[in-house]
Amino acid sequence: MRVKRFFVLLLAVLVLSVPALAADYYPAYNGPETTITMWAWTSNENYSIEEFQKAYPNIKVIWEDFGVHYEKAQTALAAGSGLPDVLMVEYSFAPEYMDLGAFQPINQWLDVDTFVELYGEEALGWCSLDGVIYGTPQDSGAIALFYRQDLFDRYGIEVPETWEDFAVQARKFKEVAPELLFNGPPVGYALWWVGMVWQAGAKMFDYHDGDWYINFTNPTAQQVFEFWGELFDEGIIEPVMWWNADWYNSLNEGTTATVLNGAWFAEWLRYNAPDSEGQWRVMAPPNNDPSNPHNGMLGGSGFYVTAHSKNPEAAAIFVNWLNSHPDSLRCLNQYSNLPVMVSTRYAEILDELAVEDSFFGGQVIVETLWDAHNRINTTFVGLPIWSNLDSSLSLLIQDYVDGKISRFADILPMWEQDVINTMKEFGYTNVIIGELPE
Amino acid sequence: MRWITKKRLKSTAKAYLFLAPFLVLFIGMVVYPIGLGVKLSTYGQRGARMWYVGAENYTRIFSDSMFWQSFRIPLFLLLIQVPLMLFLATILAFLYETRRRDGAVFRFLYYLPYTIPGIVSGLVWSYIFSDSMSPLRPVLDLLGRSDVKLLTRDNVPPILLVIILWQFTGYTAFLVYSSLIAIPREYSEAAQLDGASFWQIAFRIKLPLLRDPLITMFIFNAIGAMQVFNEPWMLGGLVVLPLNYTPAMYIYNSAFSQGRFTYAAAMGIILAGLTCLFSLYILRTASKQMLGRRLE
Repeated sequence: MRVKRFFVLLLAVLVLSVPALAADYYPAYNGPETTITMWAWTSNENYSIEEFQKAYPNIKVIWEDFGVHYEKAQTALAAGSGLPDVLMVEYSFAPEYMDLGAFQPINQWLDVDTFVELYGEEALGWCSLDGVIYGTPQDSGAIALFYRQDLFDRYGIEVPETWEDFAVQARKFKEVAPELLFNGPPVGYALWWVGMVWQAGAKMFDYHDGDWYINFTNPTAQQVFEFWGELFDEGIIEPVMWWNADWYNSLNEGTTATVLNGAWFAEWLRYNAPDSEGQWRVMAPPNNDPSNPHNGMLGGSGFYVTAHSKNPEAAAIFVNWLNSHPDSLRCLNQYSNLPVMVSTRYAEILDELAVEDSFFGGQVIVETLWDAHNRINTTFVGLPIWSNLDSSLSLLIQDYVDGKISRFADILPMWEQDVINTMKEFGYTNVIIGELPE
Repeated sequence: MRWITKKRLKSTAKAYLFLAPFLVLFIGMVVYPIGLGVKLSTYGQRGARMWYVGAENYTRIFSDSMFWQSFRIPLFLLLIQVPLMLFLATILAFLYETRRRDGAVFRFLYYLPYTIPGIVSGLVWSYIFSDSMSPLRPVLDLLGRSDVKLLTRDNVPPILLVIILWQFTGYTAFLVYSSLIAIPREYSEAAQLDGASFWQIAFRIKLPLLRDPLITMFIFNAIGAMQVFNEPWMLGGLVVLPLNYTPAMYIYNSAFSQGRFTYAAAMGIILAGLTCLFSLYILRTASKQMLGRRLE
């Protein structure tokens, strides 16, 4: 305890001794007293807001929580008024909002260099289009492998370092525990599949200089779909519907041994599978080449300044402070239960937050997940038709589950064709097919 | 003379005053939104940008196979669920009638499901058909059919049938029953004296007299079938259903998850128009037959 307190003190001294640097990140607000509104579904965001208002007494923030508010936001956007100053949006859906003109640029208050310094270069793919910055990233969706230590012990399963080994362990598990499931990838949930391709170091689409790029059938993406397809086709594992009572039940009861999901899933697991306390562990996902590891993201959300904001300056200052200032990041970890924030400044308070977690059998998951986050070394911009991307894949995988498609990997080109058609249907003429920007 | 007009004016004003609460809400919540919907449907839209396109949305709907495919479930409900439910409800009503005095408990129990909001019952039913927690599981295990998956996409229509029947049959039976008790007793008493059995009286005497309320209920339920949303929406959490599983789901998804509000508005107008035409058609054929019968 004393050692930890020493570190906190040291950190405080360090932070206080570099006010010049801090001032650069967070410009002063000289405007009149103002009130801004924010829609966000992160729990307990008010603690960060309190800290913010201490630093900027002239900016009052009203936080409203409507749960996942896309329907409300789409309505306000179409109506031309009614969006709050700050809108929380998942990284996957953000490009659609950027493309629709829902956000406004904030480069004036947060330039690209500062952004990169605070959030890393990859985050530009989630918060900007062609160098125009619209917001800041909050939590990381770094992919992690959640696994049941008790099942691994009972059935002699080893923690897989490579995907090859993952398949070996899955086969072994099927043999010794045929009534249980080693891993159940989601039926649909495009984020997951895009994330797996990302984790393998590739992408399926991107945006650059006014053009949307689509290439689902590149070798790496094909390899990823072949990998899972082989395990499905042979009946080693099977796709399952996620986010419903059945699924939570299987996690709670221990009928599923592993889950690949974003870092934020640690909290979901804690609240939705309470009986499994102490059994789960978490690790960075397997890689094809463990000496040169990659990672990708699955979920995570940013906070963006909307086009309807009357005070973009205050909103921009707020989103930057909220998602990068250690005083706020600490609250986000402790009260909002987000395990990993994207900001590079999270490293400053990591030692303080890296405590043993009893739900994960005493593992210091914040460290593990931060490490998983730092393996993310590529980025891209999502397509602006995410809900269609999602439903198209869901239908195809459901067709596979229902036996209407016999080979899983065949889904990939069908999905691509579907997405290309939708882009056309939605009036996008600036689509380049079959290639991807660097 | 003058005081009469004045008096009439006064009573007219009074009538409107009493009507006002209804009229204000009706105009504000029904007439105005429909007008706005018609206007919206003539615009193209992406985000906040809107531009006039005339009838383009409508011509697009006619070639949008997604929209027309979405009528498969309403048609299924219309052809199977609605007639089946009216039949069951009528039988139930005949049985109610035999227990006019002490049957209140049954009428109440059968009515109960109707009082539960569709979303709530959808949620509960999705548990009943869920894979790991279904109370039907032990039964299947006993029968040695543990491998059977209850909630597959192909099973959704029959499951919808079960849910909707469960929800509305008791309510409909209650309505039929209330028409039934309005039928003068003399008819069935006369038939009884002539030696007709209970079911003969029910089907030969009472059923023809229930024609009008049954037609009305058929129309109401047909409209319900066209607009079905809650039940498939809830089941969508357990099995993947297409965005266009029913017309209402397609309209909802187009507007709120894809942000195509004006296109959704146009589809809404078409759906309303089709429902209206369908109701008129049923009413006309029904009244023609009735007229014909009277002329005989």
